[in-house]
Amino acid sequence: MNIQLFLLIIVVITALAFDFTNGFHDTGNAMATSIASGALKPKAAVALSAVLNLVGAFLSTAVAATIAKGLIDANIVTLELVFAGLVGGIVWNLLTWLLGIPSSSSHALIGGIVGATIAAVGAHGVIWSGVVSKVLIPAVLAAILAIVVGAIATWLVYRITRGVPHKSSEKGFRRGQWGSASLVSLAHGTGDAQKTMGIIFLALMSYGSVSKNAAMPPLWVIVSCALAIAAGTYLGGWRIIRTLGKGLVEIASPQGMSAESSSAAVILLSSHFGYALSTTQVCTGSVLGSGVGKPGGEVRWGVAGRMVVAWLVTLPSAGLVGAVTYWIVHLIGGYPGAVIGFSLLVAVSAVIYMKSRKVKVDHKNVNAEWEGSLTAGLDDSSRQPPHDTGTQVGVLPSRGFGAEDDTVVAENAS
Amino acid sequence: MSAWFNYEATLKILLFGMLAGAALPGLFALGIRLQAAGAGDIGTDGSAPRRNPVLTALAWAIYGLVLAAIIIGVLYIARDFIAHHTGYPFLGAKPK
Repeated sequence: MNIQLFLLIIVVITALAFDFTNGFHDTGNAMATSIASGALKPKAAVALSAVLNLVGAFLSTAVAATIAKGLIDANIVTLELVFAGLVGGIVWNLLTWLLGIPSSSSHALIGGIVGATIAAVGAHGVIWSGVVSKVLIPAVLAAILAIVVGAIATWLVYRITRGVPHKSSEKGFRRGQWGSASLVSLAHGTGDAQKTMGIIFLALMSYGSVSKNAAMPPLWVIVSCALAIAAGTYLGGWRIIRTLGKGLVEIASPQGMSAESSSAAVILLSSHFGYALSTTQVCTGSVLGSGVGKPGGEVRWGVAGRMVVAWLVTLPSAGLVGAVTYWIVHLIGGYPGAVIGFSLLVAVSAVIYMKSRKVKVDHKNVNAEWEGSLTAGLDDSSRQPPHDTGTQVGVLPSRGFGAEDDTVVAENAS
Repeated sequence: MSAWFNYEATLKILLFGMLAGAALPGLFALGIRLQAAGAGDIGTDGSAPRRNPVLTALAWAIYGLVLAAIIIGVLYIARDFIAHHTGYPFLGAKPK
């Protein structure tokens, strides 16, 4: 096996890993409001979203090898660079997931690739005007447009159903949410799975196993990307779902339906008018809007502020990770460089995963009362069943990392 | 349209976003209101609630309209796929 083929295999694995993080990072976009309002059971919601993402991934035919088009100089793309960019995207996705912040997966990926490009050839390899006009400005616009549409939709819905008894309206709105949430999931699958397909496609072209004129990637690329994003979605990014559905705004079903309709409309229209806006920013904006538009509604601006900060630092942070990864892989070089780069990615991911287990957010406690932060109050409630049954230690190992859980229980008890 | 900021697309997204993203849920809410009224759940002037089948039928007509809009939305997402596999320029998609 030559070194290029070895690198290609690593890039493909890393790209699928990114697709997987993309899936669970964005489950909340489509499903957070349905889960929070009780329209769908948490497990049912992620299953529905996973299926629709899978379908959506197969529906996308215009696979563009273009995530980086207009952002970096196309002639300098190497497998090392793509790998470093993907690492930047994955690490940033995992970190923001740990903190429960819905940030854009595309921004993380673009940040990683731009960072790796700067590391590879310097800042002149980046087309900065493209970064501003295709990434930064649309991000701001996405949030603003979605807030406006989401707020007006929510206000309208509450105004129209004023005086209607809660019990007669609730069921209808929950059904409405099934439709609106499904649309967002489908739109997400068509858009986001495509990005990873594009990356793998690009890597295959750069390796030379696919003609540069090919319009469609090989079938295995489409199938594996679709499966990766669906599996990620089914895993459910509970931490982010919790922030979007409970932390930012307390979502009731009329708000949820309005927010999702607004998201679906803005996402589909933006792709129709050729001005692609990020799913995450649109969905977050709609949720904010639904808090603004509900009479007497409340938005936790502190949570929103933290989120905006995360959006602002996404590009530079993912870029830094991408750049450092590129240096490591490139300076060590050859097989050792690729192996060490990949091992570091696995190690960092493992550390973040372990941290996330300390106070776990899952389908059981995702809707628990918001007490000031993502995990406040959860370390007790998530351990409620063992307390009830009185068989504490016997039940715990099913959560994995039993020893760690035991220490947390001990701390709480004292 | 400037090089930095696509005014035209932004305004279009805002305008049609209002129609699809705000007016449509509003319409759905109207359906819910009519259904509740049709079932006699909303007491208008303190009189005993009365069923009104006309309002109920109207409510279901509105639901049908909203459902149709969602189906069009799904078909729109799938338009390239459909055009690609049937060769028919579906919803403006170019068959490739």
